[in-house]
Amino acid sequence: MNPLPTEAKRVLAIDPTSKGFGFAVLEDPTVLIDWGLKRASGDRNVKSLEKAAELIERYQPEVLVVERTAAKGSRRCPRVRQLIEDLIALALDRRLRARRVSRRQVQRCLSKIGSATKRQIAVALVDRFPELEPHLPPVRKSWMSEDGRMGIFDAVAFGWASYESLRRERRALTLLSLETPLPHA
Amino acid sequence: MSAPLESYLRTYRKRSGFSQDEVAFLLGSTSGAKVSRYEWLARQPTLPTVFAYEVIFRTPARDLFAGLYQKVEKETISRARLLARKLAQARARRTTPRKLAVLESLSSGLASPQLEQR
Repeated sequence: MNPLPTEAKRVLAIDPTSKGFGFAVLEDPTVLIDWGLKRASGDRNVKSLEKAAELIERYQPEVLVVERTAAKGSRRCPRVRQLIEDLIALALDRRLRARRVSRRQVQRCLSKIGSATKRQIAVALVDRFPELEPHLPPVRKSWMSEDGRMGIFDAVAFGWASYESLRRERRALTLLSLETPLPHA
Repeated sequence: MSAPLESYLRTYRKRSGFSQDEVAFLLGSTSGAKVSRYEWLARQPTLPTVFAYEVIFRTPARDLFAGLYQKVEKETISRARLLARKLAQARARRTTPRKLAVLESLSSGLASPQLEQR
């Protein structure tokens, strides 16, 4: 078993679903700490927020990652859009950084291995994190609705993509600082 | 950088695919409720249980309880510095230099030369 890094930035990624939310906690792009589904009944947004607060309390993440619902191609209902905004407010209240990741960003990060559909992304994630294999739902037929377990894979993908986008931003900043001429003394 | 979690028992259990009841069986316990309490830090495992966890996950306890280990290490080192100051101020005995060498190596995070010989 791979040893876990002791000095890494912890990320909590949450992907709301119709019955609650899927979540993933990562300490590094290669280290998955926890993952799963949380069910929320009754007032789903209120219950989801309570359960997200428990996860924040338990894992003390530095960053909360959610879907960028304003991005082109995002199809989320008003309830989920509101829940995502409430989750960001909760993160800011707990002094965490909130990061929004679009589905396009996830696809771009995983495009190197030709992953485009949600199923392909889930399979690519199972390659990286074999512990997720038991949660991989069967291939979805056109008449089937989406399996709830896909929420886990979406959350892991958001968390993973947030590291990748952060890495790209840092690299861009480094290049920018190299290109900027130093003022003459 | 995030501080490590106090316990990674849940991570290692989920990685290996065991249920809480199965781990409880391996630990010689009757129900998974105790395992849940260990994972959620509601209860501290006994020393034999910690060793059993080491055997099950083939991981040293300092990695399974990374945050707790760091906390204990920090506190112990700070006590070692205090003891070193006390010893330096007290009347020197024959064993004092040896003790000070051990305490100094503790503070600097190095293995003690005297203890290494064991």
